[in-house]
Amino acid sequence: MTLLSVQDLKLEYDGRIILDGVSFDLAQGELKVIMGPSGSGKSTLLRCLNRLATPTGGRVVFEGRDVLGPGVDERALRQRIGFVFQNFALYRHLTALQNVTLALRHLRRMPAAEADERALRQLARMDMQAHAHKYPAQLSGGQKQRVAIARALAMDPAVLFFDEPTSALDPLMSREVVNILHQLRDERVSMLCVTHDLYLARAAGGRVMFLDEGRIHAEGEVDELFGPNADPRVRAFFHQELRQAQTAQPIDAAQPMDQAQPAGPSGPAGLAER
Amino acid sequence: MASFLALMLEYWPQVLSGLGNTLLLAAVISVTGLAGGVVVFYLAISGGPLRRRLTEGYISFFIGTPLIVLLFLMYYGLPQWGLKLTPFTVAVIGFTLNVAAYNARYLMTAFRGLDPDELQAARAQGFSDLQVFQLVILPQVMRLSVPALTNQVILNLKDSSIAFLIQYAEFFAQMQDLAIRSFRFLDAYLVAGAVYLALVSVVVVAARWLERRYVLPGVRRAR
Ligand SMILES: Nc1ncnc2c1ncn2[C@@H]1O[C@H](COP(=O)(O)OP(=O)(O)O)[C@@H](O)[C@H]1O
Ligand SMILES: [Mg+2]
Repeated sequence: MTLLSVQDLKLEYDGRIILDGVSFDLAQGELKVIMGPSGSGKSTLLRCLNRLATPTGGRVVFEGRDVLGPGVDERALRQRIGFVFQNFALYRHLTALQNVTLALRHLRRMPAAEADERALRQLARMDMQAHAHKYPAQLSGGQKQRVAIARALAMDPAVLFFDEPTSALDPLMSREVVNILHQLRDERVSMLCVTHDLYLARAAGGRVMFLDEGRIHAEGEVDELFGPNADPRVRAFFHQELRQAQTAQPIDAAQPMDQAQPAGPSGPAGLAER
Repeated sequence: MASFLALMLEYWPQVLSGLGNTLLLAAVISVTGLAGGVVVFYLAISGGPLRRRLTEGYISFFIGTPLIVLLFLMYYGLPQWGLKLTPFTVAVIGFTLNVAAYNARYLMTAFRGLDPDELQAARAQGFSDLQVFQLVILPQVMRLSVPALTNQVILNLKDSSIAFLIQYAEFFAQMQDLAIRSFRFLDAYLVAGAVYLALVSVVVVAARWLERRYVLPGVRRAR
């Protein structure tokens, strides 16, 4: 059964074409991976699907409903989609547990005890229950990402979106996240995963779409996509990724615990959505 | 000095009521100024460019205008239009407008240090703009601003003394009165200074406690 259907999605910013007619389907329980060079529109694509960005054309049908039309309750839509970001984006003034319960308490209006119980169950699923009362600053990158996944899962979403979930992690910590993706796939959680990470793409074992310049140029299993008969664009990307992987820093097991992510140079622009 | 202290004892109801009025004004404007600052801050970050420009204008105007001008305008100017307000009302309105502008500026500065990804994550979870503000932005920004906000309370306490220029019978006005009665100006002002210093010290101790209690995890205190 099709959960999400994207048809000819387009987005233009100031005359620049960011998405140039993207189409694909995601079935219930399926994992699809989106790869592509930096700036190819991967994050923008995900943001269009939960209406954090507004496409200029195309159709998105999610759970049988047109998502882009007028009169769509976008806050209800977003609650059906769990979003996991590259930089974890945990609320730093809240403990791991509170990060997971915040939406349960304030969107689901769940009583505190029930929310805590449910959140602890999700943290346990991520093997993070021992750290429930720690603040994000006291967790390693991999642990933060696991809390972020628990936070997304706690709302019982129909689908999980990952936007480069391992890009801010060293290889050792990436593996923790890859294992979780594996586990979730085995539990038939529907997932759409944007990544740069070939290891993640391969380990996840889903179908891969290759996005470049706002279009999907190839789709297939990892091995056929990056194999000897690959599209030249894909091959160029693949070679570059391999080169980067080889020159990457060796694993530093003694990473400091507090890898606070610096805010962007300008900080947040405001509350208003653009 | 001893005889001046004796004079203060003799006039203790007057001194005490002055002290009470000072504390009342400082407390009221600290609360209204904080509430106003939060509202202005919210308006500044939640609207479009026009709203942002308007709130920036508000902040710049009240930070840029001497408070005394505003107080005199309301207390001595408005009666010419037939609007007569009590000194306390004028002081509360004037100080609130002024203090809210400063507090809004502190909150805006702290806001720039937040992680934009966190706010995006909150929106992606389905929170409304107001909820993102209440649940994610305000708790962090307030905690980051504790030093600036408590410093503003200290300023409120000290600056409330200028309300004596619009006939508000606060502590400094009473000390001035005693000074004139006794011709002991030096003693009067020394005592007044010492009393303000003592009051400020109490606020400083409370501020340190708040800072320790509400420091954001992972944010190192600058000290
Ligand atoms: N808010 C924005 N304003 C203007 N341009 C943007 C914005 N967000 C993304 N872009 C542009 O859209 C393109 C795609 O960006 P993005 O979706 O982040 O790519 P990816 O995630 O694949 O690296 C980039 O060229 C980027 O500069
Ligand atoms: Mg991206």
